[in-house]
Amino acid sequence: MSGFDIFAIAFVLLVIVTLFAGVKTVPQGYDWTIERFGKYTRTLSPGLNLIIPYFDRVGRKMNMMEQVISIPEQEVITKDNATVTVDGVAFYQVFDAAKASYEVSNLDQAIIVLTMTNIRSVMGSMDLDAVLSHRDEINERLLRVVDAAVSPWGLKVNRIEIKDIVPPADLVEAMGRQMKAERVKRADILQAEGQRQSEILRAEGAKQGQILQAEGRREAAFRDAEARERSAEAEAKATQMVSEAIAKGDVAALNYFIADKYIKAFGQLADSPNQKIVMLPIEAMSILGSLAGIGEIAKATFGEAATSATAARRASSVPNTGPTPPPVAPQR
Amino acid sequence: MAEMFSTLGTWNWLIFGFILMALELLAPGIFLFWLGLAALLVGLLSFAVNPSWQTQILMFAVFAVAAVPAWRHFARSEGSRSLSNPFLNRRTEALIGREFTLEKPIVDGTGTVRIDDTIWRVAGPDAPAGSRVKVVQADGASLTVAAA
Repeated sequence: MSGFDIFAIAFVLLVIVTLFAGVKTVPQGYDWTIERFGKYTRTLSPGLNLIIPYFDRVGRKMNMMEQVISIPEQEVITKDNATVTVDGVAFYQVFDAAKASYEVSNLDQAIIVLTMTNIRSVMGSMDLDAVLSHRDEINERLLRVVDAAVSPWGLKVNRIEIKDIVPPADLVEAMGRQMKAERVKRADILQAEGQRQSEILRAEGAKQGQILQAEGRREAAFRDAEARERSAEAEAKATQMVSEAIAKGDVAALNYFIADKYIKAFGQLADSPNQKIVMLPIEAMSILGSLAGIGEIAKATFGEAATSATAARRASSVPNTGPTPPPVAPQR
Repeated sequence: MAEMFSTLGTWNWLIFGFILMALELLAPGIFLFWLGLAALLVGLLSFAVNPSWQTQILMFAVFAVAAVPAWRHFARSEGSRSLSNPFLNRRTEALIGREFTLEKPIVDGTGTVRIDDTIWRVAGPDAPAGSRVKVVQADGASLTVAAA
């Protein structure tokens, strides 16, 4: 084999290796940095790229896609001295491959440590209650601080989320009890309020009822009084009329009325269908005595002769009922 | 070895070219492909003129090197065609021309706007919070704005 043979073979191998070193295909989602003699010169974007072999070298292959890193769990002491365990996630994207490659060493670690320290400072300035209830605010404050801090590295932190905030177990238990007590309190208050309301309503109802009853009684009394007034009036009128009649006539007419009433009352007494024996008070004897008086009146009226004028007057004042039969005691 | 090249000669190049192209499919990188093309070209030329094997091998090397500018020309014209998603992995460039409301005032050249549920720090002339700004330039992660 001559020297030219070996040269030809070596030349082909060199060409192949050179081409291999000079042609670079960068996949989408990545940027490659190029270093000439170890110094950064340019960035290759996705697609086919040529570099000058022997001079240029691919430095870092930087991922330009948004990436997520988890922030490891750590203990944070809040402003009110509660120790909570916190972890989270951060999303970032590299926008400048050169800066992300050379401005910072160990990019992920730098972001993690930066975020962890900022979680401590943000949450350390808040009370436990605020820490548990203002997660959005914490996320936003973290994002502002961390994003500003990483901007010299050519990347942007798009989002930092606190994943879990775990207070110590005894604190969780106490919080549970507090919540339960709060609800029991609310329930008790509601119940008492309900009772109060119902009592008031019931009393109101009773009061209303009594008022109505009293009003009814009042009304009834008014009407009773009226009735009594009216009957008294009627009585008075009747009496007046009788006395007027008497004044015009003889006193005997009055006696006649009284006798009539007596007899009628006595008749009623005797007419009672199941009354065979009539018990009369002693006083009644004097009534019987009066019957004799009535007989006298009758005799005086009809038996004896009187002046024609008097007779005429009697006739007008006493209804003509014929001769009054002598009063008799009830037969039965 | 020399005998093998000289006797198989022409067919060798064509077989070599096909093998290179097949390898390209297995390990993509647009690199073995045009080595394969160069090999096929040498093979076809060898049918016509039948040069010595050393010449053939040098022709292969020359074709391989010559393919670089030719391919580059092709790649450029390919790259200049409009892509279906030109802003893939270039989020800031997609923001150029859009208008936003300043969340924090621009003081000493920097302020913040809220874009797509995250906070972007922007550079530009001083302006109070709430004023409308327009993104005029994007350089990496930093946006430059002007009053809209």
